[in-house]
Amino acid sequence: MPMVFLDRLPVPSLRAYTSISIAILSCSIYYAAQIVKDPGWRNNHPNSLVAAVGNATDNNASAIVDSRTLGVHMRELFACMVQEPGCIWTLINMAYCVLILVGKSIQKLVFGELRVSERQHLKDKFWNFVFYKFIFVFGVLNVQYMDEVVLWCAWFTALGFLSLLSQLCKDRFEYLSFSPTTPGWSHVRLLGLLTAILALSSFMLLMCVAAGFFFVSFNTFAFMAAECILLGVRTIHVMLRYAIHLYDTRGAGNTSPRSWDKRGPLAYYTELTSELTILAVDFLHHVHMLLWSNIFLSMASLVICMQLRYLFHEIQRRITKHRNYLAVLSHMEQNYPMASQEELAENSDNCAICWEKMETARKLPCGHLFHNSCLQSWLEQDTSCPTCRLALSMQANHRENAPEIPSESPTPARRNDNHFFHFDGSRYVSWLPSFSVEVTHNRIRGDISALAHTNSQLDAMARQVQQLFPYYPRNVILEDLRGTRSIEITIENILDSRLLPPHHVIEEPEAEPATTTQTTTAHILPIPLVQDTLDPRLDIPAADSGEEPSNLGGRFSKSSMERERILQRRKEHMLLTARRKYFERHPHHNESDTSLDVSSPVNLNNVTPRISLSHN
Amino acid sequence: MAGSALRRLMAEYKQLTLNPPEGIIAGPINEENFFEWEALITGPEGTCFEGGVFPAKLIFPPDYPLSPPKMQFTCEMFHPNIYADGRVCISILHAPGDDPMGYESSAERWSPVQSVEKILLSVVSMLAEPNDESGANVDAAKMWREDRLEFERIAQKLVKKTLGIPI
Repeated sequence: MPMVFLDRLPVPSLRAYTSISIAILSCSIYYAAQIVKDPGWRNNHPNSLVAAVGNATDNNASAIVDSRTLGVHMRELFACMVQEPGCIWTLINMAYCVLILVGKSIQKLVFGELRVSERQHLKDKFWNFVFYKFIFVFGVLNVQYMDEVVLWCAWFTALGFLSLLSQLCKDRFEYLSFSPTTPGWSHVRLLGLLTAILALSSFMLLMCVAAGFFFVSFNTFAFMAAECILLGVRTIHVMLRYAIHLYDTRGAGNTSPRSWDKRGPLAYYTELTSELTILAVDFLHHVHMLLWSNIFLSMASLVICMQLRYLFHEIQRRITKHRNYLAVLSHMEQNYPMASQEELAENSDNCAICWEKMETARKLPCGHLFHNSCLQSWLEQDTSCPTCRLALSMQANHRENAPEIPSESPTPARRNDNHFFHFDGSRYVSWLPSFSVEVTHNRIRGDISALAHTNSQLDAMARQVQQLFPYYPRNVILEDLRGTRSIEITIENILDSRLLPPHHVIEEPEAEPATTTQTTTAHILPIPLVQDTLDPRLDIPAADSGEEPSNLGGRFSKSSMERERILQRRKEHMLLTARRKYFERHPHHNESDTSLDVSSPVNLNNVTPRISLSHN
Repeated sequence: MAGSALRRLMAEYKQLTLNPPEGIIAGPINEENFFEWEALITGPEGTCFEGGVFPAKLIFPPDYPLSPPKMQFTCEMFHPNIYADGRVCISILHAPGDDPMGYESSAERWSPVQSVEKILLSVVSMLAEPNDESGANVDAAKMWREDRLEFERIAQKLVKKTLGIPI
């Protein structure tokens, strides 16, 4: 992989790069200034493209030798730098440097410190982008001239910059949605950035419409527009998800159950349309590349075909999933009636899936009630009642609708759907091979079980990997396995540290001091004291004096800080009570404990962050 | 759908705080990530794990409660149904589709009506009555069957370790 190799290149620090760029830029400015000092520089200059123009204005220029104003001087300086090949490169370099600085400041302003997974995503996405655009420029467009390359580079730099930012926003949004207590202003900043990205991408779309009208061919226009549209749709997708999420969590206080019922399908259809739009545009973009660029039988076409295949499978997968969704929906509507008001009143419980109040509900044959959308999302993955496990046959409606087919078991019914094609070549010509093809049409149940089957397969693979790397959380491994589909490759990824565990595992050493500072606020004897006392029984009554367990439980604070503190205190209290009880039960326990084991988890804070795996 | 998962977790956290079951404490380690909890489980009375306070980590999927959380003890454990790395192997934590051992009926598996509290209570009863047919830890299962005294001795050692009492 080229990305791995590129990863290992020594990259100078941002500060060094900036200072080098500025130094080079000032050198070239000085150089240009030296040239421009001579009013007739345009004549003497061999590279000058505007030599003819210079000649024409020669007389005027020599007449007004040094009466050039500062503005004119600057303009000439700039013109000189653009013409001089050495200078133009420093200008381009400077532009990139400024772009990186802008990116860095946006990161500081909006995101703060990047998390490990975000950084990883960003890096992957960056190198992917560079790789594909390189192929696009040199393989597909087959650009011959330097100035064209520079123009395309500028275009893709802007595009790549925006799409990286949008990716970062998406990652951060997903992270923020894991917490109920994110301060409002971080949402505002993120949404502001997303709006800016959207505005810029529509501006770029306008630009390429303009370019399409006046300068470039239709093909080029389509290439440029497709990328802008992709970026725009991605950004809109994140924004919509964000808006739904915010509405969802903010509205949680004053629950409006009507909006709840509509929210499920709304979220689903935004997801569906934006994903399908992205995939379709991407697919068309790649088909366009393949067909209109005369690149059959080249490396580039191979790469594009691979990408097309991937996109096709994704579209197919998405549509299958949607079919399943629709099938479940229609099945629910046909077979499970909405619960009547009396039934709702009779059943005073909340929905067992989301634990929220039910204003409307669907009723299963077993009499259990659930929210429409909750039931829908459960039935998509399993076909039983969540409460009593009554198996809900998805084919039930077929049978009810067609009672004249007597008790046909599902297996032969499915077999009827299969098409079996057999080609016996030897009947025609002796050397022709014989082969048979079987086409299977699975019903929804089949789809679900197949899905579950791959899931369990993945799970088993993940378990194997985890036995080797117990520190890696299963979900990280699963995520990677979903992409690689091979235990070996995932293990390789881990070994090459391409697959990083989430940051709480990595940041463990820093996490510990943070928690110890918390202990000082609690009324608990800190660890050193315990170590000083010879008899550990002495510290226990002191430790939980004044702390009534009833004080700690029975209260659910509104502030997350307080909740965390109370939880911490309850845990400490539990541990201390357990220790006291232990000593009460074993009064003759410590005959030989003159030396307390320091490494033993005396305090909860020592126990919690450590994943003690090596002991076995 | 992290929003509905978040609300459900918040509701469960509230319930576990207001009406904590005997000997069980659970809650998010850091509220910046509500999908990662820590639970403390007291060893059930009258068993060899009596008196111990065992810390465990619960990791919830974004589509919780449609998928089960993962649970892993973060202290040293020796038990037939707990893997050497602390992962807990009980049927309630298995999604209905997957069946690693091939013998659980789907009635015992995860469903969205289960909750953190129910999981933790099942874990307590698992500590009390190991199921030596599902061999997450084969050595422990064998010892449980054949040398109960030694098993109890090891369990008591672990109890002391979790309490920070020198052995």
